[in-house]
Amino acid sequence: MSATAGNTSAPWWRNRWIWLLIWLAGTAALLAGLSWNAWPWLGGTPGATFRETRLNEWPLEILWWLLAPLILLVQKSLTRIDRYWWWSVILHGAAAAAITGLFVAVQAIRVLLINQLPMSFLPVIVHDLRWSEGWNYTPALLYLALILALYAVNFYREWRAGQKLTNQLQVANAQLETRLVRASLDALKMQLHPHFLFNTLNSITSLIRNQRTREAEDVVAGLGQLLRRSLDHRQEAMETLGHEMEFLRHYFEIESIRFQDRLKVELDIAPKCLGALVPSLILQPLAENAMKHGISKDPNARLLRISAERDGSRLILTVYNDGPLLPKDDAALSSGIGVQNTSMRLQMLYGDEARLRLRDQPPSGVRAEIIIPFQTNRVT
Amino acid sequence: MTTTSRAHWWISLLLLIVNGTWAAVYLGRRESLTVVRRPLDRVNVLRVAYTPVISLDPHRRIFPYPAGNYLTLSLWEPLVECDSATGQPQPAAAESWSWSTDHRVLTLKLRADARWSNGDPVTAHDFVRAWLRLLSGPIDPAYALFQLKNAEAYNSGKRTDPAAVGVRAIDDLTLQVELDEPRVTLLAELADPLLVPLHQTTDKVLGSSDYSHHPSQVVTNGPFRLVEMNADGFRLEASPYYRDRAKVRLAGVQFIKTENQSTGALLVAAGKADLLSPLNYAHDLPHLTDRSVEVDSELVLGVVAAFFNVTRGPLGDVRVRQALALALDRKNMLTAMDQERLVPAWSWVPDVPGRKGLAIFIEDASEARRLLAAAGYPGGRGFPILRMALPLWMKGNSYPLACADRWFQELGIKVYVAYEAPMPLGERIKSGDYDVMYGQIIATVPDAADLLSTFTMAPQYSETKWHDDETIRLLAAANRKTGAERLVLVEQAERRAMAAVPAVPVMFERRHILRAAEVQGWYPDPVARQALKRLWFEPAPTMGSSPEMAPRL
Repeated sequence: MSATAGNTSAPWWRNRWIWLLIWLAGTAALLAGLSWNAWPWLGGTPGATFRETRLNEWPLEILWWLLAPLILLVQKSLTRIDRYWWWSVILHGAAAAAITGLFVAVQAIRVLLINQLPMSFLPVIVHDLRWSEGWNYTPALLYLALILALYAVNFYREWRAGQKLTNQLQVANAQLETRLVRASLDALKMQLHPHFLFNTLNSITSLIRNQRTREAEDVVAGLGQLLRRSLDHRQEAMETLGHEMEFLRHYFEIESIRFQDRLKVELDIAPKCLGALVPSLILQPLAENAMKHGISKDPNARLLRISAERDGSRLILTVYNDGPLLPKDDAALSSGIGVQNTSMRLQMLYGDEARLRLRDQPPSGVRAEIIIPFQTNRVT
Repeated sequence: MTTTSRAHWWISLLLLIVNGTWAAVYLGRRESLTVVRRPLDRVNVLRVAYTPVISLDPHRRIFPYPAGNYLTLSLWEPLVECDSATGQPQPAAAESWSWSTDHRVLTLKLRADARWSNGDPVTAHDFVRAWLRLLSGPIDPAYALFQLKNAEAYNSGKRTDPAAVGVRAIDDLTLQVELDEPRVTLLAELADPLLVPLHQTTDKVLGSSDYSHHPSQVVTNGPFRLVEMNADGFRLEASPYYRDRAKVRLAGVQFIKTENQSTGALLVAAGKADLLSPLNYAHDLPHLTDRSVEVDSELVLGVVAAFFNVTRGPLGDVRVRQALALALDRKNMLTAMDQERLVPAWSWVPDVPGRKGLAIFIEDASEARRLLAAAGYPGGRGFPILRMALPLWMKGNSYPLACADRWFQELGIKVYVAYEAPMPLGERIKSGDYDVMYGQIIATVPDAADLLSTFTMAPQYSETKWHDDETIRLLAAANRKTGAERLVLVEQAERRAMAAVPAVPVMFERRHILRAAEVQGWYPDPVARQALKRLWFEPAPTMGSSPEMAPRL
């Protein structure tokens, strides 16, 4: 059975075996009907003649019916050798000649039967038919027209199948691309976790050295929660801003123990922005940068403010610290792992629609700003 | 080409076998074929192959095909038979007759010993019944009796009383026919197969749908009676009740339907048939077997002609019609093959028994051009395009086209040849919406005046719409005369009609008959009414013998 036949989702009319079954049933019915009709003649009933039978009246129609599957088979087989088109042309020409010959032969045999002549007269009748216009070339023309039509149908089917395949490939390509992006994001996230982890572990080490055991325990407990949450959501690229802020809250709890009372965190989140989708852990690296290059560098610095607001179709996220201004060495700044990763993630996820900016906020302080499309539907 | 599929090689092989077989059949042996042995039940049975559809009902005649005549005259016997050599009526069902002094009333005496195939006596009432049935039908066959008093009115429905029609049975054996006008050819016309008697049961039997299953129900008075009929034809056997049965030497006649004349000729050559009429094409002559066959020939009493509608524009001018007639080139129209069968027609009437055809038309293209110029159309300028109305079945017939070509080449007259189906063509002819027609007229009486009677028809029946009182008067006068006096009047009528050229004769036809040499007694008949009862086999055919033992004939 063919692949098509084996495919249960294919419609029944695409199943050649069903058509063959229909043809066989039709042939059986035809033979039964013809036999029934010709029975008086076959049985030698007085007065019954071959001339009155359907076999005599419908010889050409019957022949077309019997030849139909053979013609389809020939066409299908010769289509496979399309590269050798001249070979197909020769064989189709020979088939047209054979069909003409068959039809003339059937006509001649019909004349033989009607007139009860012996087979030895067949060549004579064949020649006589030529003079009495019994050599009809219409069957050959019909055959060639049928073959052309079948070729046209096949060509159309192949074209449609090609189109379908192209579409499927495009979809598969897009899916593959998405999966690649997701894999890249996962890889980036895997870089974030160690970065934060090392910092926190350093903090814990520092707390233990300073005999601040109770605080160290709190940090370890917070870190555990952060890691559990991080692992739970590892496969998801996007989070609501609300979830992201919840994550940051744990993070700042750890950092506040590390910085003791010196750190002041302000959150200015518009309620309508809490449902907005943002890349998972997109703010944490910036917050960490603010802690590392801002607040920790200036003993007077203590403020870290995170805000979120909607500007039309855009979501603007900012992370501000009142630490020292940006160093003059831009290259050092832009090559930081946190900024690089964040910038790369934004580029992968939004292309040109996203932007990350770091700028001084004179007289003191640095402001990191992320602008992304405002989205509320979850995209997996 | 893929290496995994060998299907195309199998297809190539299959096509090679099929085409090879076909070529072998085509190139197969076509000479010295075996003659088929005559079946046991066909000994002394004449087997006649025929092609056109013929009806058992004598009144359902579309055209007087020879096979139709043979069948009807084998089953039924009319009042008279015409001598094929002289055209003179001979006694058949009627043993004698007499005319009234004014030649308006014909009284016929029937044979007392005539019997139907069921033993019933044949009476004058059987003729009256049959003729009234014929007049109650379509006009074409009924036209054969229009010379009878009130016959046309009865056929058209203007008269409904059958007693008003000019045919009555004086007694069982006396039939009286009354005419509107004297007509000396009436007696010969009574030989028409249309005018055979019908048994009182026949109308009902032929009207039923299953009489073919009960052929014995068809009661006839001829030399043979029907024993079988089916799609393959008819089988007749000698009637034991026929009055002259002692002279009938055949045991029966079988009519075998064939697809075409070529197959009919093949059947004769193969020993499956003994006679084929007509055989129109010389290349159909078989030389396939060692059966001895002969080709007989008879001049058909008919004429192939172009008919001009004289009510249409320039065709009303006799000079135009003469120009069209003189511009033809009849001899060159006939191909070498046709010259064996077709004869250029220089007059309207061909040779008939007792009268040679005239030489009226002398083709002269320059004279034709002069006449056309005199009529106001020099070189055909200003002449309207003629519409030639032809039936569809004439497609492929080269002769009408040859006429049209000649008129254009010699006279500059253009002809639009339009082929039409029977219905629209009939309507066109009825309304007179045509310029030229092309066709054949066949006589039903072996008499010169019969073909000329086409010029005496009422305009509504006439293809030419031409009417000439003098021609009608001459033919009417001829119908009152006999012998040489009559021939003079007929010639005058023919010359007068041809001078006016309402129609131009193109050619006469010679009918070929293919006959097995053992069939004896065949004779030519210009109206194809050979009586098969006169034929016999000599030597008598053997049956059941091997082909080698069959007599070489």
